Amino acid sequence: MSDVTLRDVRKSFGVVEIIKGVDLDIKSGEFVVFVGPSGCGKSTLLRMIAGLETITAGELDIGGNRMNEVDPSQRGIAMVFQSYALYPHMTVRENMGFALRFAGLPKAEIRKQVDEAARILELEPLMDRKPKALSGGQRQRVAIGRAIVRHPKVFLFDEPLSNLDAELRVHMRIEIAKLHRDLGATIIYVTHDQVEAMTLADKIVVLRSGIVEQVGAPLELYDNPANLFVAGFIGSPKMNFLKGVVEGGGAGRADIRLPDFGGAVVPVALKGEAPAAGAPVTLGIRPSQFTESGDAALPVTVDMMEHLGAETLIYARSSASDLVTIASQSRPDIRLGDTLTARFPSSGALLFGADGKRIY
Amino acid sequence: MTSYGLKQRLSSVAVYIFLGVMAFLSIFPFLWMIIGATNTTSDIIKGKMSFGEALVVNATTFFTQVDAPLIFWNSAKITIIATVLTLLISSLAGYGFEIFASRFREKLYTLMLLTLMIPFAALMIPLFMLMKQFGLINTHLAVVLPTVASAFIIFYFRQSTKAFPHELRDAARVDGLKEWQIFFLIYMPVMRSTYAAAFIIVFMTAWNSYLWPLIVLQSNDMKTITLVISSLGSAYYPDYGAVMIGTVLATIPTLFVFFAMQRQFVEGMLGSVK
Ligand SMILES: Nc1ncnc2c1ncn2[C@@H]1O[C@H](COP(=O)(O)OP(=O)(O)OP(=O)(O)O)[C@@H](O)[C@H]1O
Ligand SMILES: [Mg+2]
Repeated sequence: MSDVTLRDVRKSFGVVEIIKGVDLDIKSGEFVVFVGPSGCGKSTLLRMIAGLETITAGELDIGGNRMNEVDPSQRGIAMVFQSYALYPHMTVRENMGFALRFAGLPKAEIRKQVDEAARILELEPLMDRKPKALSGGQRQRVAIGRAIVRHPKVFLFDEPLSNLDAELRVHMRIEIAKLHRDLGATIIYVTHDQVEAMTLADKIVVLRSGIVEQVGAPLELYDNPANLFVAGFIGSPKMNFLKGVVEGGGAGRADIRLPDFGGAVVPVALKGEAPAAGAPVTLGIRPSQFTESGDAALPVTVDMMEHLGAETLIYARSSASDLVTIASQSRPDIRLGDTLTARFPSSGALLFGADGKRIY
Repeated sequence: MTSYGLKQRLSSVAVYIFLGVMAFLSIFPFLWMIIGATNTTSDIIKGKMSFGEALVVNATTFFTQVDAPLIFWNSAKITIIATVLTLLISSLAGYGFEIFASRFREKLYTLMLLTLMIPFAALMIPLFMLMKQFGLINTHLAVVLPTVASAFIIFYFRQSTKAFPHELRDAARVDGLKEWQIFFLIYMPVMRSTYAAAFIIVFMTAWNSYLWPLIVLQSNDMKTITLVISSLGSAYYPDYGAVMIGTVLATIPTLFVFFAMQRQFVEGMLGSVK
């Protein structure tokens, strides 16, 4: 059992509250990713789970035991740091075996464990080098190896790939996914990177200013964001947000007028009742949802284009100068300054209230 | 040749001349000391600048007037104890000042730095009275104690600790190390070039220290090499040849330490952690 449970966990530095009551259930073997803007408290929350920061209030359980006051080394966790934090005066082998040596394991046992981890991570030829003589990717693997040899119940990663170049990052991402599959351990992983979060996570936790905005599987967050923040944070390029006003509707449907787009009216499918007429709302459409066959139409002027090869990003403006991003799979024959009609299926649009919450 | 090339040539010539003069100024006293060790007192006073034949005579005089093994042992003992204690205590303090936040940290630190401005002359008498109260006059402990918490070395360690990665401490805590183990097993080895640079500074200061030992060490069998050389030089008929021999001998340990640790010294001055 290596469930991790947080109950109304809070953290203050002096008078400033950084983590403002987080509840979280992480099941054994789950890969959980914390995402959120810089400074929202991802690292702080991770360090609280590790025991590197004290918990101001609330309760942290790992494997069913309260961990608030337990020493980091006794929590059954291992951590991989952004800067790798390898001991520069020790060889790779010493670095990996250090925690075991400290736990008082016999030499032969340490050697066995370290060799096993080295084999998994293909570090065998590097065992007698110092960290200084390793490349970034190799250091990263040693840092992971140092975590593996401890056989932790929970692995904690704080932006482990952010110091690597793009190609190596993709490679290490796949390695980490493989590692999770092979070891079956619980992993909590902090990242800035959308793609890392979407590809690695069983469950994404979106944080903002010390509050959990939404928890869910990657595609669930992508398809069904609970509020404007999550909708804007998950997915790249970012979701388009169009200002609108409720014009009418009823059960299962709301007609939204978009004053900035020449007063176009879009019928949006809802589960519940439409909001009162005249209420200000926000319409969310992902750039990739625009298609030729859509029933809703927005008149726009092309401002900028980016050809990415597989897709083309068109940045267009409404007459009121609202920016809309359109991702096209084809290579449309248009030029800057052209006016065009952007079409999207109204069934795919999401509706958000004035408070930022999703209207279902 | 372009005027730009000429200008560069001229400026590099100027640089070499400047460096040459500076090198001469710093080497000259050494040279004079070594030459002096081979000349008689009267030649030294005349300012003779070539090697003479009085080396053996001077050495004999020095070793008959001075109980060299005892005096060197006194110096070595004081220097080694002072160096080890200063490095340990001052690095602990510098590390603590940088790592552990507290409400009074910066105030305390500023106060400590302010003590650097108090001239030693102003501290001499109160310090002497303090040592007297503890009954430490004419002991080597009295020489060592006032130096072990060195504001300058604490400052130096705090500055260097800024480059010590915090994540190393975190990694060590996750690996199960206690605070004191982090200091001895991680911090010390990682910062070894800082220690090397501090070692040279503290060692030289302790070995060469004169005024304070002069005040607290009163009997001849307790004195250090610097005190003895100076008393030789201030005799009624000073034998400068013997003084020079003593000075040469007294310089050897510092030269040895410096050359042995030169590389780490430079690294330490530039910053330990890269
Ligand atoms: N020891 C500390 N003392 C005071 N404030 C702190 C301390 N550590 C972190 N903070 C503050 O807590 C907030 C959250 O920091 P944290 O490092 O958790 O953010 P983050 O989400 O990891 O950001 P990033 O994505 O940039 O790494 C920040 O505003 C930071 O200034
Ligand atoms: Mg962070």
